[in-house]
Amino acid sequence: MRTSELGRLHSRQASLERASGNMDKVQRQLSTGRKITVASDDAAGSALALGHRRNINFENQMRRNLETGRAVLNAGEAALGSGTDLLQRARELTVNAASGTLSQSDRIVVALEIDQIIAGLAQLGNTQFGGAYLFSGHQSNAPAYAVTGNPPTAVTYQGDTGQRLRRVSEQDTVAVNVPGVEAFASIFDDLIALRDDLNGAAPASAINAHLTTIDDGLERMIAARAAMGARANRFETAQSVSEQRNVGLQELRSSIEEIDLPSTIVEFTAAQNALEAALGAIGRTSGMTLLDFLR
Amino acid sequence: MALSIGLDSAVKALRAHQVVVDTAAHNIANANTPGFSRQRVLLRPIGISGSNYFGRDALIGRVGFGVDAHDVNRVRDVFLDFQARQTLGSKAQWDTHAKALGKTEVAFAEPSDSGISEMLGQFWSAWHDVVNDPESSAARTTIVNAATTLSGRIRTAAQGLVVERADLDRQVAGTAERINSAAGEIAGLNFQIKQVELSGDVANDLRDRRDLLLDDLSKIAQISYAEQADKTVTVYLGSHELVQSNQARTVAAIPDLANPGMRKLIFEIDSEDVTTTSGELRALLDARDVDIPGMRTKLDQLASGLINATNALHSTGFGLDGSTGLAFFTGVGAVDMDVNAVVAAAPQKVAAASGAGLPGDGSNALRIADLQSSLAMAAGTQTFDQYYANMVSVFGADVKRSEGQAESSGLLVDHIESLRESVKGVNIDEEVTNLNQAQKAYQAAARVISVIDEMLDTLINRTAV
Repeated sequence: MRTSELGRLHSRQASLERASGNMDKVQRQLSTGRKITVASDDAAGSALALGHRRNINFENQMRRNLETGRAVLNAGEAALGSGTDLLQRARELTVNAASGTLSQSDRIVVALEIDQIIAGLAQLGNTQFGGAYLFSGHQSNAPAYAVTGNPPTAVTYQGDTGQRLRRVSEQDTVAVNVPGVEAFASIFDDLIALRDDLNGAAPASAINAHLTTIDDGLERMIAARAAMGARANRFETAQSVSEQRNVGLQELRSSIEEIDLPSTIVEFTAAQNALEAALGAIGRTSGMTLLDFLR
Repeated sequence: MALSIGLDSAVKALRAHQVVVDTAAHNIANANTPGFSRQRVLLRPIGISGSNYFGRDALIGRVGFGVDAHDVNRVRDVFLDFQARQTLGSKAQWDTHAKALGKTEVAFAEPSDSGISEMLGQFWSAWHDVVNDPESSAARTTIVNAATTLSGRIRTAAQGLVVERADLDRQVAGTAERINSAAGEIAGLNFQIKQVELSGDVANDLRDRRDLLLDDLSKIAQISYAEQADKTVTVYLGSHELVQSNQARTVAAIPDLANPGMRKLIFEIDSEDVTTTSGELRALLDARDVDIPGMRTKLDQLASGLINATNALHSTGFGLDGSTGLAFFTGVGAVDMDVNAVVAAAPQKVAAASGAGLPGDGSNALRIADLQSSLAMAAGTQTFDQYYANMVSVFGADVKRSEGQAESSGLLVDHIESLRESVKGVNIDEEVTNLNQAQKAYQAAARVISVIDEMLDTLINRTAV
């Protein structure tokens, strides 16, 4: 084919443009570490990557919810654990007092200890976590229990039965609280009545009757504690499942968005060779005319 | 047989080969001039037809009377010109389209850690933090900040589309000037070519210039043209006459009442719209009136979807201070979306609770956070995140398609241009060969003259009288 000066110039320019454009692209990928910087680099891939990113964000938030939720549950569980210990002690004292071997002055000492237990339980009922009262339901800005009198004549629940639900997965929401009325129930009234009976020299049988209510209270508290513990365990498992899922999602995302280093370096070398070849060919041929060979 | 006839032939040869040398010089001088077609001298022998006067001698007619450089031709293939102009128009169209869309796409650089999708993710996350700690003012401040950032990012993207459209509109108006300048010059060249060629000459270089202008015009818009008997070309832009003889119709950009804020091109003579199916103008109009508004509509839908869904839930909830009925977002679309200033100034008004006086209740915030998974967009088929991912990737596919078209039409242009250059372009080796040939012929003709001179000398001075 006949060639012309301009034609040769254009084809050289075109081949140089292609070679250097190709190298530029690979170089940019290498320096950013990314295959996709705008959606047109891979339209379908970018839609997938955005979907993975959404899921990664969501999973991250779910893990945060689980993590902080577990801390709340643990705090509640610990409070109810101490409460259970206190109630056990109250039960022991009641069993002793009901045996009828105690003098009235001994009974008054027991009554004083019951007062301490009531105060201790009220304090546990008012456990705070992150500024919120754990057992107040939705009334989390106010202490769950208000104690009247010293020694206490009444312990009043100021909270409600609200459940503090949070999302822990695409499908599930779980409460991280147990309202005080559920965990403590009528324990305070029962203990106050017990104390009054102890102080008022009630017969042993009457003291004995309090065992039933204390046992009821214990049972409820243990149940509430177990429920919180079970949820905390469930959160822990869910957290590690989510972490694994996150690893998978991150891999998927990076396989779409990011370059594979070894193969990109090979690509870069190939592009570099192509550019060098184009430059070399131009360098060797461009100066050549018939004039070089005419005398 | 007279010696002077040989002398005359030799002089004609000198003259003809001087033209050959001049032409080679002109070709070499223009070896790198865009649009230049190489020129070729047509030599022909002068034979019997012009020699009746010497008819008595039978031999004279057989020998002939030398050479005549009777024409200097432009070497050019008009069919390749026609093909080239079609492909030039489509290459210019897709190049321009890909560039315009590529610029827009950068405003939505996704997937990234700073794009709208990430801001959207942070927005949903911040709601969960409010759910977890509804009484916490830190969590409430975080959701206000996340929503403010999201709104700002969406507004910036929408503003970017407005600016890009205005820029494209300026380019549309700019094409009017370019069309007018090319058309005006073609009309002028028509006049000159007609004058020159009427007198029997060939206006090679003027024709080259006119062909180059036709190339330029076909890059801007779809044109058709035909050369008339009087050597002028008539050019049509779309189906409207643009140049006829030495008259050019001017094109003007005027406000388009059907497309507020934008301009359209019309022919000034009859106010008819300029229409084109290819070229830069087509791409500019497509990007300005179809692609970018399409993206804007989707962005507006995303924004209004978020605003309405969030507000519907938020207004039924209660803040820490008992406030209720408040919108969370203000605005109706992408350009004016923002967090309600009342809520932003007092984050305790973020309506996390479902009832008044329930500081530990985050159930309304949970409902809002759950909007993330609700199929609120695209007629109940997509979530907000999916809708956004889809709009970005569809636009990316459009950009890719334009880039692909630009590349393939570019290859076609390269191919046809190289064919065209191989016909009309100057090859220096060839010109040097022509030059050498002409030089040799010139030297030989000079030699003929000196031989005849010696013969005459012999005849006149050496013959005894």
